[in-house]
Amino acid sequence: MRQVQATLTRRGALGGAAALALASCGGGDPPPTGGPRAGSGAGLLSSIVALEHAAIAAWATIGEALRGDARRYARIIREREIDNAGRVAELVRKLGGTPPQSRPAADYARLFPRIGDEADALHFARDLEERLVRAYLEGLRLLPDSDQRRVTAEIAADQAQDLAVVHVLAGGPAAPQPFVTGTL
Amino acid sequence: MPAGRREVLRKAAGGLALAGGALAGAALADADRALAAHSADAEQLARLLALERRLAAAYEDALARDAIEPALGKLLLDHEREHVRGIEQALGRRSPGQAQAPGQRLDFASRRAFARSALELERRTVETYRDVLTTFHNDRLLQPLGSIMACGAQHEVALRRVLGEDLL
Repeated sequence: MRQVQATLTRRGALGGAAALALASCGGGDPPPTGGPRAGSGAGLLSSIVALEHAAIAAWATIGEALRGDARRYARIIREREIDNAGRVAELVRKLGGTPPQSRPAADYARLFPRIGDEADALHFARDLEERLVRAYLEGLRLLPDSDQRRVTAEIAADQAQDLAVVHVLAGGPAAPQPFVTGTL
Repeated sequence: MPAGRREVLRKAAGGLALAGGALAGAALADADRALAAHSADAEQLARLLALERRLAAAYEDALARDAIEPALGKLLLDHEREHVRGIEQALGRRSPGQAQAPGQRLDFASRRAFARSALELERRTVETYRDVLTTFHNDRLLQPLGSIMACGAQHEVALRRVLGEDLL
């Protein structure tokens, strides 16, 4: 029971971090004169960019709690999240939108769970990566354009591999389930 | 989609067109587009099914020949069987067609050799899923198919681990 509550707290924290990033979008800027049309996918893509910004900050925090090979993978995964954020932000720009900017690291950090040891860090990392995989799989269903879906599918596969690495670092199998965050 | 069913639908809508004019004509056009879309999706699903069956057979053979560590082999085989079951379910009564998996040679000479060739087949399967997901029509299946693709991507990590390679 205690473990479930901790998981929900972490997920809530990630949602809060993403919302924070979204809230920063356009703050203080003049109202847009053009921008993406409704149903273009720009809104969903922007929310994914915001989540990626939170994930980049989260992986820095996770990495600080890890040692050796685990810390090396945390750095690699963080770099991959930076690439992902850039790719999705580019899709938003192609639609005439302005992707959300990241917030200072401290703004995210206060929303993350307290990480006492490596197990906490990997637990947080697992929740984070599951959320990212789900976000990209949801994007597959909702995005209208084939180019958007291609990018989303590519990144979803990469995120699933990041999640597999977290499983391995936590001492489990890389692929514990036949359906990652979903079923037929 | 069998031509017979399409013809039945066309005739039925044609009858409605006589009675209802342009409205039924539009319904026919919509139905025909839906049928065409379903047909394309069924072909794509058949491609994926062929690959998943190939992977299931590969892990089954590898287990029989001791070309994979048993616990890992059984886990991966169970996953592939679930993927086959899921795609067969999605295809329903539609014929899976004659899609062939790529004729890649699998190497059972050693556990390492098998891991190398299985990794290549998993990689090609994930690539095929990415292609299919880009053009697939049935929105309800996109997420579950993505979920299977994600599992395949994780299998790549499992096999790289066997090979002692970097996991990413």
